[in-house]
Amino acid sequence: MYQGIAASRGIGIGSICLIVEHELKYDAVKITDIEAEKARFQKAVTRFTETTSAMAEDIRKRIGPKEAEILEGHLVMISDPTMSGEMEKMIATGQCAEASVEAVCDMFIGMFSKMDDDMMRQRASDISDIKTSLLKILLGVEDIDISKVAPGTILVARDLTPSMTSQIVRENVAGIITEIGGKTSHSAILARALEIPAVLSVPGITALVRDKDTAIVDGTEGDIYINPEGDVLTKYIRKREEFIRKQEELKHFLGKPTLTADGKKLDLFCNIGTPKDARKAIECDGEGIGLFRSEFLFMDNNHLPTEDEQFEAYKEAVEIMKGHTVIIRTLDIGGDKDIPYLHMQKEDNPFLGFRAVRYCLGNPDTYQLQLRAILRASAFGKVKIMLPLVTCVEEIRSVRKMISEIKADFDARKIAYDPAIEIGCMIETASASLIADLLAKEADFFSIGTNDLTQYTMSVDRGNANVAYLYSAFQPSVLRSIRHIIECGNAAGIPVGMCGEAAADPLMIPLLISFGLEEYSVNPVLVLTARCIISKWTKSEADALAEQVMSLSTEAEVVSALKAAAKD
Amino acid sequence: MVSKTVKVTNEQGMHMRPASVMSQTVTPFTSSVKVIFNGNTYDAKSVMMLMSACIKCGAEIEIQCDGPDENDALKAAVDLVESGLGD
Repeated sequence: MYQGIAASRGIGIGSICLIVEHELKYDAVKITDIEAEKARFQKAVTRFTETTSAMAEDIRKRIGPKEAEILEGHLVMISDPTMSGEMEKMIATGQCAEASVEAVCDMFIGMFSKMDDDMMRQRASDISDIKTSLLKILLGVEDIDISKVAPGTILVARDLTPSMTSQIVRENVAGIITEIGGKTSHSAILARALEIPAVLSVPGITALVRDKDTAIVDGTEGDIYINPEGDVLTKYIRKREEFIRKQEELKHFLGKPTLTADGKKLDLFCNIGTPKDARKAIECDGEGIGLFRSEFLFMDNNHLPTEDEQFEAYKEAVEIMKGHTVIIRTLDIGGDKDIPYLHMQKEDNPFLGFRAVRYCLGNPDTYQLQLRAILRASAFGKVKIMLPLVTCVEEIRSVRKMISEIKADFDARKIAYDPAIEIGCMIETASASLIADLLAKEADFFSIGTNDLTQYTMSVDRGNANVAYLYSAFQPSVLRSIRHIIECGNAAGIPVGMCGEAAADPLMIPLLISFGLEEYSVNPVLVLTARCIISKWTKSEADALAEQVMSLSTEAEVVSALKAAAKD
Repeated sequence: MVSKTVKVTNEQGMHMRPASVMSQTVTPFTSSVKVIFNGNTYDAKSVMMLMSACIKCGAEIEIQCDGPDENDALKAAVDLVESGLGD
């Protein structure tokens, strides 16, 4: 088995077509007829521009405008005065066109590949593609035509150039393996758009395989098998069928409401970290935002973001969600999340220290900016404010007081906001769970954060390998805590949601249905999976399972009972 | 010669698309248009040079224009950066 980067999900099984690249060799001779060489270069650039435009157009029509962007970028770069201009200058000194193209491209490749920015490093591979294409044109080397490969082909190449990827016929290509390229490379983006399983960056793979070898490409895990044994092949044929069946099944849930098997409507929201993620939530069919982490604004910055900067970011997410709920969690820093310019003091026990709502209330000037920005954004949709790490009633009262003062100020200045904006708290500490009945009288909603709730309830640092085995939301204590929180919220008539990883866990979902959880906030890519699992359980089935599970004494017993009852 | 310091506010900084929009905006002017960042000077009419500066969100850059239409060029460039570079 070989491993690489899992770049496009799914299982591909088929026969290898090895794409052998011609070596692009030339003699770097001194040129005497400089004008003729310049004309040869110009002709090559024109040809490059024509073929690249045609490919971009083809990809735009066949796949989509976003996928065509990379090739359009190539056109912009080649027309840049510093690219073709520098090349021409070198030709003018007597270098041949090939050497000039190579030298200028290599200079830019060197420059971009050193940058500490993923997207910039991607430009290095773009320039490398441009170099290869131009050299091929100058040397008269034709690309292999991969539009004619037989059905069930696994393409293996050092790298897939854009011209190759644009020829791929999705019905015939079962998988893609390359030696170079990452998750954001042109090959990866196209493979995902075409839904072809792909594993990239497999070291030396082109030297390890031959044409017609059988290969398995597991694009979900990043694994590759060449000429696998019979039992491995059987296993993967089954895995492939399973994957295809699941994908088909999930597609049925697109655009549908989230309903239990007995027809109860639940809310399925998404967790996001930036305004742009809201678009992903919409694409993945999320029904709202259950957790908008506001930290990114503070972490990806070298100064405290101003009220206006924050307002713009919140407003962007709210507008993308078009009237659907957006729950913004106020600044949750401290603990393991440090922000250099805030000069927070180092603490011996950061997870029990000056973090989250404690930090916010201790720095009212900073906190006010954020609350004002959120209130202003609330005029553009349905916004809710959520406080992290609440441990006592006074915290929510203090924040409410600050918000009332801001509202009064806004009224006086005629600044628009939603006067009915809801203020809720995360329930993620043992204390908050124990006083959930008291907090429910003060908060407009609850959201259970299972990651911190598990950590604080079990008194375990999940990063510490010696104790990590204790870290599980299926510990009887954590489950009891979750049940108690939901019951208190329901008794007080306030909505209860969950925004930790557990909300999308197939084993946890039946318990949450039984406990009466109404809002599930998950990673956007898990929306359809969660909706599918929710659809399989009726309240009475979930209740029967919960009754059984809640009487068990150990985590291992809980997990095995849930696994035995799981519906696939 | 005229110049002004502005802050880059679009989320992705001076990437492919923002850099293209910038070079397309300033190329029609006769004046030279330079971006000064971290002590280095880059030709704003070149996408490659703009990208090579690795300008990220939040960075302060100086835009410097020199030539017969320098005031118009500076205004166009500054407006563009302030409006988020078309992102």
